[in-house]
Amino acid sequence: MLSTTWRSVAHAAIGVAAALWLSPAFAHAVCGDRIFPATLGIDDPGVGDELALPTLTSQPQGSDGTREFDATFSWTKTILPGLGLSFSDGGAWLRPGGYGWQALDTELKYNFMCLAQHEFMASAGFDVSWGRTGTAAQYSPFNTYSPILDVGKGFGDLPASLNILRPLAITAEVSEAIPGQSWTDGLQNPTMLNWGFTLQYSLPYYNSHVGQIDNDFLRRLVPVTEFAFSTPIANVPSGSQITTGTIQPGIIYEGDTWQLAVEALIPINSASGRNIGAVAELHFFLDDIFPDSLGKPISKWGQP
Amino acid sequence: MNRRSIVRIAAALAFAFTVPAAFAHAQLEKATPAVGGAVTSPVEIRLKFSEGVEPRFSGIVLTVEGGAAVPLGKPSVDPADSSVLIVKVGKALPPGVYTVTWHAISVDTHSTQGDFQFTVKP
Repeated sequence: MLSTTWRSVAHAAIGVAAALWLSPAFAHAVCGDRIFPATLGIDDPGVGDELALPTLTSQPQGSDGTREFDATFSWTKTILPGLGLSFSDGGAWLRPGGYGWQALDTELKYNFMCLAQHEFMASAGFDVSWGRTGTAAQYSPFNTYSPILDVGKGFGDLPASLNILRPLAITAEVSEAIPGQSWTDGLQNPTMLNWGFTLQYSLPYYNSHVGQIDNDFLRRLVPVTEFAFSTPIANVPSGSQITTGTIQPGIIYEGDTWQLAVEALIPINSASGRNIGAVAELHFFLDDIFPDSLGKPISKWGQP
Repeated sequence: MNRRSIVRIAAALAFAFTVPAAFAHAQLEKATPAVGGAVTSPVEIRLKFSEGVEPRFSGIVLTVEGGAAVPLGKPSVDPADSSVLIVKVGKALPPGVYTVTWHAISVDTHSTQGDFQFTVKP
């Protein structure tokens, strides 16, 4: 009897240990069957331990003829499951204008919704671009505050008769960038509405849900087009109430623990730029690379 | 670009390219029967993932069109390759469209799931 009891206790202990050991890891932008890749102009709706390094951007030539090249990075650390803090910064080279270190940017982001069956995910964030942390032409004397909403929807819940559309996903982002001071040196600092969306067709999803792709390279590609816009909505100098932005067709290659994305930057109007730019980013998923240390939340509090 | 910037970028790139080998989310790479394929009645279902999986915490459900579940054996992994999840099919399948619904816990505890269909030919 005693041995049976102890055996039961041992089984229970092993079960608890296994459950704890195998408590699911939460990272990436995974919701149901969908893995949303990291996109370049519009943030994905997930929160994970990630490192974008480097992001290299050749901006479209400015409407005033200025050319700009940026080399930046972004690191996101999860504090709790679904809650992360990101740090972004980097250099910018202007011609004319010279080199400057960009303002430090931080964002606290919380993934508050995942409807797994519908591959629907939503996160809310609060971003601060810190004044007086940039240099030269990148210097700003004030902070800029941006509440942000990110959402994503995969179409894997479509019926089998529409199988070909199931790899499709759309993500979207809207934020309001509020400057910490209204005027600088006699010039107005407008409040901007930053908004946009992505359309993406996941060949990894196609390979695992619709039809097998034998080519290992092809089945890791995600063709994507991003639409990123910026509209001044308050404290706008007269004559400046115009939406600017870029359309960004490109491709993402998904490795097991990293991804590489390359996109063109096509200005939507003359105020957005004169010719086509380009952006490329190497992105590491630290939850996969360092699952037991740097890649996991600081605390598991709140983990289901 | 000044020297400090070059050092910063070089240090960052050095970190990026010296990360160790790692595990990841187990994504389905290949299935037998093939995703969307047409086959004769299979004796087993084999799912090849991008990472090793834990058979105790992974599973496969097979349903015929209309929703009835088909009896399957206990999940196991290929002794030679822990990234291949295998279940035996308990009986010959009559012609029809079948749905495989799977979930996988990779060896680093990341969870993934998915489904696909295949057809058993007459």
